[in-house]
Amino acid sequence: MATLNEKKTCSERMENFRRFVWNPETRLFMGRTLINWVWISLYYLAFYVVMSGLFALSIYSLMRTMNPYEPDYQDQLKSPGVTLRPDVYGDRGLQIYYNVSDNKTWEGLVTTLRTFLAAYTPAAQRLNINCTSDTYFIQDTFDGPNKTKLSCKFTSDMLQNCSGITDPTFGFPEGSPCFIIKMNRIIKFFPGNGTAPRVDCTYVGDESRPLEVDYYPMNGTFNLHYFPYYGKKANFKTSFLNCYSNPLVAVKFLNITRNVEVKIVCKVIGAGITFDNVHDPYEGKTLLKNTCKE
Amino acid sequence: MVKEASEMGSTNSSSKAWHVVYKIIKIWNVMIIEAVPDVHHNTKTLFLLQKKSDVYSVEDLWDKRSRKTDIGDEEEKYKDLKGNKKKKAEDLKKEVELDDHKLSASELEEKYGTSVNKGLSSARAAEILARDGPNSLTPPKATPEIVKFLKQMVGGFSILLWIGAVFSWISFGIQLAQGAESPFDNLYLGVVLALVVILTGIFAYYQEAKSTNIMASFSKMIPQQALVIRDAEKKELPADQLVVGDIVEIKGGDRIPADIRLIFTQGCKVDNSSLTGESEPQSRSCDFTHENPLETRNIAFYSTTCVEGTATGIVINTGDRTVIGRIASLTSGVGNEKTPIAIEIEHFVYLVAGVAISIGVLFFIISVSMRYKILDSIIFLIGIIVANVPEGLLATVTVSLSLTAKRMAKKNCLVKNLEAVETLGSTSIICSDKTGTLTQNRMTVAHLWFDNQIYSADTSEDQTTQPFDQSSPSWTALSKIVTLCNRAEFRPGQENLPIMKRVVVGDASETALLKFAEVILGDVMSIRARNRKVAEIPFNSTNKFQLSIHETDDPNDKRFLLVMKGAPERILERCSTIMINGKEEPLDSEKAEAFQTAYMELGGLGERVLGFCHLYLPEDEFPDTYPFDTDSMNFPTSNLCFVGLLSMIDPPRSTVPDAVSKCRSAGIKVIMVTGDHPITAKAIAKSVGIISATSETVEDIAKRLNIPVEQVNRREATAAVVNGMELKDMSLQQLDEILCNHSEIVFARTSPQQKLIIVEGCQRQGAVVAVTGDGVNDSPALKKADIGIAMGIAGSDAAKNAADMVLLDDNFASIVTGVEEGRLIFDNLKKTIAYTLTKNIAELCPFLIYIIASIPMPIGTITILFIDLGTDIIPSVALAYEKAESDIMNRRPRNKRKDRLVNEQLAVYSYLQIGIMQSVGAFITYFTVYAEQGFLPSTLLGVRVDWENNAINDFEDSYGQQWTKYQRMYLQWTGYTAFFVSITIQQVADLIIRKTRRNSIFQQGLFRNKVIWVGIFSQIGIALILTYGLGHVTALNFTPLRFQYWFVAVPFAILIWVYDEVRKLFIRRYPGSWWDKNMYY
Repeated sequence: MATLNEKKTCSERMENFRRFVWNPETRLFMGRTLINWVWISLYYLAFYVVMSGLFALSIYSLMRTMNPYEPDYQDQLKSPGVTLRPDVYGDRGLQIYYNVSDNKTWEGLVTTLRTFLAAYTPAAQRLNINCTSDTYFIQDTFDGPNKTKLSCKFTSDMLQNCSGITDPTFGFPEGSPCFIIKMNRIIKFFPGNGTAPRVDCTYVGDESRPLEVDYYPMNGTFNLHYFPYYGKKANFKTSFLNCYSNPLVAVKFLNITRNVEVKIVCKVIGAGITFDNVHDPYEGKTLLKNTCKE
Repeated sequence: MVKEASEMGSTNSSSKAWHVVYKIIKIWNVMIIEAVPDVHHNTKTLFLLQKKSDVYSVEDLWDKRSRKTDIGDEEEKYKDLKGNKKKKAEDLKKEVELDDHKLSASELEEKYGTSVNKGLSSARAAEILARDGPNSLTPPKATPEIVKFLKQMVGGFSILLWIGAVFSWISFGIQLAQGAESPFDNLYLGVVLALVVILTGIFAYYQEAKSTNIMASFSKMIPQQALVIRDAEKKELPADQLVVGDIVEIKGGDRIPADIRLIFTQGCKVDNSSLTGESEPQSRSCDFTHENPLETRNIAFYSTTCVEGTATGIVINTGDRTVIGRIASLTSGVGNEKTPIAIEIEHFVYLVAGVAISIGVLFFIISVSMRYKILDSIIFLIGIIVANVPEGLLATVTVSLSLTAKRMAKKNCLVKNLEAVETLGSTSIICSDKTGTLTQNRMTVAHLWFDNQIYSADTSEDQTTQPFDQSSPSWTALSKIVTLCNRAEFRPGQENLPIMKRVVVGDASETALLKFAEVILGDVMSIRARNRKVAEIPFNSTNKFQLSIHETDDPNDKRFLLVMKGAPERILERCSTIMINGKEEPLDSEKAEAFQTAYMELGGLGERVLGFCHLYLPEDEFPDTYPFDTDSMNFPTSNLCFVGLLSMIDPPRSTVPDAVSKCRSAGIKVIMVTGDHPITAKAIAKSVGIISATSETVEDIAKRLNIPVEQVNRREATAAVVNGMELKDMSLQQLDEILCNHSEIVFARTSPQQKLIIVEGCQRQGAVVAVTGDGVNDSPALKKADIGIAMGIAGSDAAKNAADMVLLDDNFASIVTGVEEGRLIFDNLKKTIAYTLTKNIAELCPFLIYIIASIPMPIGTITILFIDLGTDIIPSVALAYEKAESDIMNRRPRNKRKDRLVNEQLAVYSYLQIGIMQSVGAFITYFTVYAEQGFLPSTLLGVRVDWENNAINDFEDSYGQQWTKYQRMYLQWTGYTAFFVSITIQQVADLIIRKTRRNSIFQQGLFRNKVIWVGIFSQIGIALILTYGLGHVTALNFTPLRFQYWFVAVPFAILIWVYDEVRKLFIRRYPGSWWDKNMYY
């Protein structure tokens, strides 16, 4: 095989590069004449304008096909996620740590709860109606104002001892803290198949004694009249005024083990709600690590 | 046959002056005159190295003065040849000191502790074997396998991928230290990237090893056997078991198994061509004829062939210590340099790596300045690198090349070095041997002259009849002489073979005559049997005739028939009559004139002419019982009756003229380099078209205009026939001038060493040079050439070792097929690369937009690897099967400096046009999937930080629904899958448009290349398997995608096709236009 060795020195390379950038003899700038650069730029400009147009057109027609009230598919939302407040996340999920005797450690948690419950004051809920029936609140028509659908009221007082009204510290100084459990909204999701889904909290693993929990409202159920959710556009919502508010369940752990980290799982039990997805720790349940110091 | 050494003196004296740089140790100069009026010179020169010279060169002699002026240049030029040759030079010196040829047989017996009759004892032989090692040439020192393997791991894109892997591990380390939730993703990514590098490396290594193995097996195909006397018994032994002192017997047809000092010979002739280049067989005897071991007749050299006769000899050198072994080891000194395709691929790798690194660094800076965390920025950088590197491409190129190599092997071109496949395609000059390559390598009767008329004979490879007029009684007489005055015989047991293929014992001319007679007359052997031979004088170089006396097959005719053949002028001298139309007529001056004219004419065609005459001996003088004595010649040898002339030539192969004209239209210059006589060389060159019918040499013009040669305007002559002797005295400038100014060149009577000068001359013109060769001395030229082509049949092992390619059928036409394949693969590699590069943009854009617009990640790094190494592999290989768009043999060879494999147009068109279209199509699918699941495009912008936040498990979509982190991740993977599917679908369109670069797909035929469809189906099949089969394996990030999303990108796929058709239409419509210049790659 032959030698095609063309070793160039650095200065030669630089010179070649300089010549490539501007060649005074052929009047080539980076391998093209200036007019040629203009042409090619114009061509690419036109090309990209057309491509952008096509993109815009495609997005426009995509939007035209979209239903404004509900998405076409809910492939990933077969079962709702469950979240907990206060939501302090550590490296491995929810980790709540506080010292009963040191109010600095739990003041933040209390504030989080208070802020969260601000959306559930009667004032914030004033546009919603009072519901009494214990069945699904099915609306086929738009009965609300501005062609919206109505939502049931959920006010923080329904959480009784954990409402922050009777006990503004949510039981933290006593070592029996309140946590608020919320189920994620899914459009036209009917949980429980006629019976109200309820929250059930237990220790994970083998603990010496069972966890004693007070549930608010009674039995820790989400009343069926808060379901189904009809979507943002139907259940009108502004940033300062929640028309549809997720129903809540508050849990108060009465005999939580002190001074060690305990793992607690709060499951929402009801037909249609699964909590056995190994990949998703927050589907149908919420996992919590709690360390309560004295 | 006469051997002369008339020029020995002069050449040796000039060699003495050569002590500065080059040292010639030996020049063989043999002139062979055989029955041709103009002497046939065959110069064979063998240059070996002497200890003092630190440069090995096989440069032939140049004029001393011009050498002195050029010396600076030469030193420059040969710098690369300099090196640690001292040790080898030392070895060679020993060879020069060889004195076995001077010793007598008994002295030899003593020296080697052997006995001529009994040979060595087995035990002693085993001892020596253990001491000296086997009698085989050590193959050129190969690179250790592990080094070859590691080279594959760090070459090309591997470095970039290693960087990616290292970055992955670094970020894994950082994340692990920070205690992040899922740091193992990056560990896995790093492992996957490393695996990709290692696997592609293993693959490339395996491919390379496989093609090397083909060669290895090729050279080992025939294990050589030798007949040895050991323990007083004759034994067949593998030749590599021979040791010094062994007594071996050789016979006609054998390859000499070692360097042998002959102690007994019988009519032994050896073909030294593998040592010295083209040659006539040389006779060997036991006599010490020359001081120099290379020249004396009583030594036969390893790897040469015994043509006829038998001999017995003592092995004096084995293995690497043989003369040939020393030359072979020198050849490995000429370094292997990069092939054109390797340079092209390197250029391409630089280009892509440049793009990858600059975009990577640019976006690293952008992301850092956009206040992304450094760790995130590093992860982006990995993504960008992975997206930019076509991981599968180098493997694809290797596969494509080896597919072509396989295809070429079927067409008798065995490619040793995969990359040589393409080199052949860019060849612009072929320096071809004559004998065996352009010609059939066998003497064949071409013309006959009898009855004052010249007849032409059929010289094709598979003649079964001869068409010329055979009705004349003169022909009957002539045919009888041809049949009887001939010692050649067919080897028995070949009755079923075609006549032309049968093996004959006898020299080339006699063989030609025997076969000629067999074709016309049928069973020659039985004719000879019916005409019993009573006396014979074999051909010898003093008489220059051959004579035999036969009984006739006519039972009524008791006369003896004396037949004679030989050099025409000698035969004519002995004749007093000439046969015209069966009648003997007196040979007057007019008829002698006619003879001279015919003789000159046939000689002028470069043919070897033989004269034939006969005489019926009168019955009364020579009765039945007459004791013929060949020594005293008690029978008439003059006043014979001249019957006719036959002329023979080694005729061109019938496929060659066509192949040469193909080369010509392909812009490839064919130069003939031969050791033959200029007249013969020119005649063959003319008949195969190397010198076209209309072109003239300077000498022709001079003859036509009747002016001295010096007055001819050299520019007018398109053809040139350069004699090796002239070449010797030429300066480099003069040679360059000849190579430049003449389009049709024949180098005649060149030594194999001069080939190297010619090759270098061609390379100075910037040409890519292919050289054919078969002898050991051709090896340097074969190595020096851009592509060395060794002859598979006639070639020596050393030549095959030095070559990049082996022609299994020794046929020039196969080279042309190879050129065609080489050009095709270059075009097709362009297509493959264009195909592969396109989707890089569709893989890269997601990262860029992800960084800038903070949308959820559209495609994952692992997914990209699945495209690059999964769906795209088979389609890109399929492009290697694409047929040529136009007649690729009608365009000039590619200019290796200008016509790059990956040029600006290709990169720009793939990256900035088709790639962008693909990206748009893929993004539309991405947005469609997200929108239909609840995230409208407007919601997605700027959402990245929250989207990826593990602490947000009630992330709200456009419809007010809330998503946990895992639900969002799953949607993101669905997005990956959708993006992947869209790229795959659009790559189908990309694959179809890449079938052609200029023609419409409909001109090329959508279904002609079936492999493309295999590619398309495999692509879609793999995508289906990944999506639906492996959709549940979370680590792979594929999800079972809703079926309709497969079709979202289809309009864009169609758009790509239509756009490309329009591009090609304009290219065809407006050649040379702005569009053509910018859009044709």
